[in-house]
Amino acid sequence: MTGPDPGEGSAASADDGSAAFPEKSLTADAASVSGDPRVEARGLSKRYDTPNGTVRALEDVSFEVADGEFVCVIGPSGSGKTTLFRLIAGLEEPSEGAVYLGGDRVTDPGPDMGVVFQEYHLFPWRTVAGNVRFGLEHTDASDAERRDRVQRMIDLVGLTGFEDSYPTELSGGMKQRVAIARALAVDPDLLLLDEPFGAVDAQTKEMLQRELLDIWSETGKTALFITHDVAEAVTLADRVLVLGSDPGHLQDVIRIDLDRPRDRGDPEFGEYISLLRHRIGADGDR
Amino acid sequence: MGTDTTSTAAETEATGDRVTPKGAAETPESTDRMAVLERLTSRRARYGTGGIAAFVIGWFLVSLTQPSYVLPTPAAVATTFIEEASSGGLLVAIGQSVLHWIPGTIVGTALGVACGVVAGWNPTIDEVTSPVVRLLRPVPPLALIGFAIAWFGINHAGAAFIIAIGAFWINFYAAYGGVEGVSEDLVDVGRSLGVDGDRELLQHVVIPAASPEILTGIRTGIGRCWMLVVAAEIFGVPGIGRRILRASNNLQVDVVIAYILVLSLLFLIVDTAFRATQRRLLVWRGETR
Repeated sequence: MTGPDPGEGSAASADDGSAAFPEKSLTADAASVSGDPRVEARGLSKRYDTPNGTVRALEDVSFEVADGEFVCVIGPSGSGKTTLFRLIAGLEEPSEGAVYLGGDRVTDPGPDMGVVFQEYHLFPWRTVAGNVRFGLEHTDASDAERRDRVQRMIDLVGLTGFEDSYPTELSGGMKQRVAIARALAVDPDLLLLDEPFGAVDAQTKEMLQRELLDIWSETGKTALFITHDVAEAVTLADRVLVLGSDPGHLQDVIRIDLDRPRDRGDPEFGEYISLLRHRIGADGDR
Repeated sequence: MGTDTTSTAAETEATGDRVTPKGAAETPESTDRMAVLERLTSRRARYGTGGIAAFVIGWFLVSLTQPSYVLPTPAAVATTFIEEASSGGLLVAIGQSVLHWIPGTIVGTALGVACGVVAGWNPTIDEVTSPVVRLLRPVPPLALIGFAIAWFGINHAGAAFIIAIGAFWINFYAAYGGVEGVSEDLVDVGRSLGVDGDRELLQHVVIPAASPEILTGIRTGIGRCWMLVVAAEIFGVPGIGRRILRASNNLQVDVVIAYILVLSLLFLIVDTAFRATQRRLLVWRGETR
């Protein structure tokens, strides 16, 4: 368990990024996992037809996520992060390739995936409890089971006492907690989050990150977390998938070998941050 | 859809229906909203009463300078009002108008909302119906009186038809715009939580999300339908409108004004009741209007 090479002068060596961090470069191993993966993306490509021609949003992305693993996807804008999110969630069809969840091909969105968006997208006409209950209403759970589950999820995200509040009465951080509880309520196989803390202030963000990690370790869920925040990726992830742009492609996979909870003041934490910055930057300078 | 939206907006204005939030200048601080609200309400009530008093006094002063067949005094109108009320003529007229106002409003509203939701939700249906909609939209309900008589006859059904046409378009566009404005992401969330198929998505996500617009449309439509009551009775169906038209022909301006006041009062009662319902249904929006 060693940290990454310190790698001095990363900006200067941008022409040859892989030489500065030899053992962390992209390999087929880093993108796959041992045993049966919970999530598998196989040769994912997505092209959009526009009046100005075809836009290649994502090109041949393949990776695996192990059961119970926390994987972050990071990349500059235009690297197809959100496209990847939508493909995995089944909200859009890939042009080529496929996504497998627990071995089954994903064709439609469904309750086997808990989806959390940056803008919360709570149902404003429903209370906190009503939002969390939403997915359960489309299962054959009994009323008592639903009530019990809703309460447990609300307790889990720390919103006890706000059951009857409407979303308009909540702060951004609280809304995102509701969204997480709503996604978890249906007991999905995968928690899929698209820059969920991008719209909250820095302090709330750190608190939510800690809480998410608590929830993750408590529930043992597999998590795929899209972000553009390098520090966030190093704080949360077991592995980080680095996407490059034009077209979006999987550029690098970096394992974060740090014990949790992770300390931002830790020198190794800082090294991972510069490593990630370097990897993202290396693509931009290409 | 730019032109259509504009015409709906113009219509909203024409009904004199206040759809903009009130008291915007005095946004209540979150601390004690109820108290602020009460103060605002009593202030509104005071100012409103003052406005009515000024209106009646102005009317009285002007009426002193005019013969009664041009503008009767408020007192003369009040006397006529009481006479009409005690003779039972007033109640009969109200009852007759209500007989076509209610079915016309309900049918037009229900169909308008349903068609608007479907057209706003399904792009194919929207594309197919859009040219026809744009063709029929500008036809004033009154231009359809011939059809009302031919299809239904000079009766309540015919008048209800005219009223229903008016309610239909207001509700069609309100529901259409509301549904079109529902965020795709909200629909995506619904799908990811196990809501499947058009009917379920409409029921659990789209219609609730569009309910503020739909309810505003219904409310505007109700007001517009009262206006159409007069117009719809033009071809001989009995009711308040018929009474006003006949009184006009006889230069009984006091009767005209008395019945106009009746229309206003009926509108006020129905609108207030609906506004209360609307407020209760939209309590989640956390605003008062």
